[in-house]
Amino acid sequence: MASPRQFRCGRIHETSMSGELKIRVLEDTDLNGVTQLDEKLGGGYRPEVWEHRITYYQRRDPEAPVVAEADGKVVGFMLGEVRSGEFGLEEPTGWIEVIGVDPDYRGQAIGRQLAEHILEHFRERGASTVRTLVDEDSEGIAGFFSALGFEPSTLRPFALKL
Amino acid sequence: MSTRKEHIPKSLHNAVVKWRETFLPDYDYLIENWDRFFPNDRRFELCAFRELGMCDEIECGERTGQPKATRACDLPDDAGRHLLGAIKAQASTEFGSIQQHQLTLSRAQDEEEQFWILRMMAEELRHGYQMLHLLSDDDWAKFSDASGAEMVEEILSMRTGSHILGAFNVDFDSFVDNATFCALIDRVGKYQLAMQKVSAYKPMAESMPEMLREEAFHLLAGTVPLRRWMEKAARGSVYITSEDIQKAINKWLPRGLEMFGDERGGGTNVRFGLKPMKNAEAQEQYCKEVESLVAGINMRFIRARLPEISSARAQEILDQIVQERKTVEGIAWEDLIHLPHPHFFRRRGVPAFELAGWEGESFDDVDEYVRHLKQHLPDAYRAGRDFKHYLELLRQVHAGEIELKAAVRAMPDLRRVGGTCPCSKSVRWVVDEPLPAEGTEPGAEAPA
Ligand SMILES: CC(C)(COP(=O)(O)OP(=O)(O)OC[C@H]1O[C@@H](n2cnc3c(N)ncnc32)[C@H](O)[C@@H]1OP(=O)(O)O)[C@@H](O)C(=O)NCCC(=O)NCCS
Ligand SMILES: [Fe+2]
Ligand SMILES: [Fe+2]
Repeated sequence: MASPRQFRCGRIHETSMSGELKIRVLEDTDLNGVTQLDEKLGGGYRPEVWEHRITYYQRRDPEAPVVAEADGKVVGFMLGEVRSGEFGLEEPTGWIEVIGVDPDYRGQAIGRQLAEHILEHFRERGASTVRTLVDEDSEGIAGFFSALGFEPSTLRPFALKL
Repeated sequence: MSTRKEHIPKSLHNAVVKWRETFLPDYDYLIENWDRFFPNDRRFELCAFRELGMCDEIECGERTGQPKATRACDLPDDAGRHLLGAIKAQASTEFGSIQQHQLTLSRAQDEEEQFWILRMMAEELRHGYQMLHLLSDDDWAKFSDASGAEMVEEILSMRTGSHILGAFNVDFDSFVDNATFCALIDRVGKYQLAMQKVSAYKPMAESMPEMLREEAFHLLAGTVPLRRWMEKAARGSVYITSEDIQKAINKWLPRGLEMFGDERGGGTNVRFGLKPMKNAEAQEQYCKEVESLVAGINMRFIRARLPEISSARAQEILDQIVQERKTVEGIAWEDLIHLPHPHFFRRRGVPAFELAGWEGESFDDVDEYVRHLKQHLPDAYRAGRDFKHYLELLRQVHAGEIELKAAVRAMPDLRRVGGTCPCSKSVRWVVDEPLPAEGTEPGAEAPA
């Protein structure tokens, strides 16, 4: 699979042909696609939220966020970045923060491919660990990360209601 | 993936700082407020970044597979001259866009949108600096009589009206231009940078990745405000209407298309291994991308106007309005924004000075065409010098008073001050450094 980040003598603005799946770096023109997919996943219609989130990732590490495109629309996305100093973790750590795959396209290894791309980028950025936080109630997501080889970490989440 | 940080010689660095104080007076405000808008983002720094570990072999063209040039003098004559022209043009665009944005920066109604543009301007300064680094870090004597310092002086002396590419000679009329320019013109920049990532001149290729990373934010600094304004317009805001956005698109898109160069050209770049695509091919991809940008902005309008409908229904409505040109659920075709025909209002390339209407329809009569343009362009733009210059040329071309070729090459105003011309009233940007103290290399020092 060709990496979407290395531009060779190919396309700059990539679109998928019918039936074809494309994993590529997220672009500003995906704002709608991501907003719509989030809506389908039950988040409601929240364009401002996604404009803000995507702008955040794009200005910090625009090669990290990836989308999956099929049949001309966004059917999956994964947002994250490499940070250092978080929770006293001095070494650069990749954080996967938001994921979503269209329910109509699940079970086709789209989530896995999105993860492979973002992990490859984290490695290029010098990260040796990747972390994520999964809600105890989200068994599906936990199953997904386990299938990718993620293991429960010693870093335990704590929270206090304010 | 890692980068190496570089600086240009101190006298040139100081020239850029002096330029910044003149044309980017809000720079200190940007730095002071950086954390308020961009907490924990890497701080801005005026320097050049070179990507490490890039491809050593030429990636396209006649000499594919041969080693890339690491010094300008290793480039074949014609390729070197071509490349030098491209570096100067690129530098000119970076500095030029700051001068344009500065004109209307203070008119933003939203503090965040304004701050985004300000950051983008500082990054354009870094992009210009990156190109000056290419000029000053190598010896271009084989391709130019001017020294590195003279080339830098020339670029820093350019003003809106004397830049190399047309889009950078057009004045901004309102903050709508700041956002539209980022969304349309910086997007062309993205194509140029992405293509130049393969450059057979390795220092050029190495200069592209960090610029491209910054470009991603520049696009959003335009796209996001446009989307928000369309949403507000749908709710009846009188500040920025969809007609205002449409007219700004009509003003800028033709200039963006021309930045790809003549639709028949670009083969030389490919042959020399400087870019992987010919002009028409890149322009075509760009058009597709802009279509999806516009569709996204229109969706924001429809969803705001009809908050109760699903996204699938909104898509259906959008398709119906655009394809059938009819009013659906109270939303008219005119309420949305659309792309002008690629031949509309062109002065370079295949359709230069054609009397091609907004939808591609052709006109026989210049006056009638001018009335048509009047309907489609922003009022303030029509009152400016760029439009006047275009109309003068258009009339001359159609009266047979000037050859098309000459009209295509004509610059609005060659007020390029500076350099060594004794009659110029310019400031000198590059001031010779005092002799270095013993034991130090001139220019080897990083700026203070
Ligand atoms: C979790 C999710 C990303 C998986 O996407 P997907 O494209 O269907 O996953 P893949 O097909 O790539 O599956 C990869 C692996 O994960 C496993 N997996 C996927 N979903 C799983 C689930 N619900 N339970 C257990 N394992 C699962 C697969 O079996 C597969 O394992 P294998 O390769 O060993 O066979 C997707 O279901 C999703 O988007 N869920 C909702 C996400 C969400 O709520 N996001 C908002 C909060 S951030
Ligand atoms: Fe730039
Ligand atoms: Fe830019």
